[in-house]
Amino acid sequence: MTFVVTDNCIRCKYMDCVEVCPVDCFYEGDNMLVINPDECIDCGVCEPECPAEAIFPDSQPGLEDWVKLNAQYAAIWPNISIKLDGPDDAKAFDGIANKLEQYFSAEPGQGD
Amino acid sequence: MTTMAVKIDHVSEDGIRQLVDAFYVKVRQDVELAPIFARAIPGDWGPHLDKMYAFWSSVMLTTGRYKGNPLAKHFALPGVRPALFERWLALFNETAEELFDDDISVEFRAKAARIAESLKLGLFYRPDRPWPPEAV
Repeated sequence: MTFVVTDNCIRCKYMDCVEVCPVDCFYEGDNMLVINPDECIDCGVCEPECPAEAIFPDSQPGLEDWVKLNAQYAAIWPNISIKLDGPDDAKAFDGIANKLEQYFSAEPGQGD
Repeated sequence: MTTMAVKIDHVSEDGIRQLVDAFYVKVRQDVELAPIFARAIPGDWGPHLDKMYAFWSSVMLTTGRYKGNPLAKHFALPGVRPALFERWLALFNETAEELFDDDISVEFRAKAARIAESLKLGLFYRPDRPWPPEAV
């Protein structure tokens, strides 16, 4: 069992989650974060910390594609364990629907 | 005369410390768990207890005090099997109920159950085998 990062993280990437995660299982893309399902211990600490409310348990129905996306990119993006500055325009993108199709970048982030 | 200890009604670093200390006293007296832990921690228990205070502080108080890879640590332990997680949980639940009131003990127990299940899956789940595993 794991938690997964979903659509509303894209272009918001607030990164509050990485500070509270006890097992450093977040990986950074250019404009979103993902969780490595093999490292997440399902503690759920990150879920309420996310200002964009983009983190859910994988037991929630309908998240299958996000579970795959998290696993896929956690394998290739760099680890991030310290909160960095997110995008300046994060607020403007918070809550926009279907960001995956419009804005998702497969490019890696900087990591730490 | 017996005195009823007042149960703790909130989560704090001090409460976590009491929980961890009392829990590991039970673990070290448990027929099944004690040998596993004795092998893993042959000497001073101080560093392990500090780590556990930090872990539960991270989980219950979101302090980020613990940073580590518990799955890898458990992988490295000889003799761990799925049924021992149930034993671990039973002792943890018992300790939480002794120290905390119902609301707080439920919070601890829910987190422990999720994390134990996740570690168990990480250690023992194989796509080609039935889950949950036989009680071994």
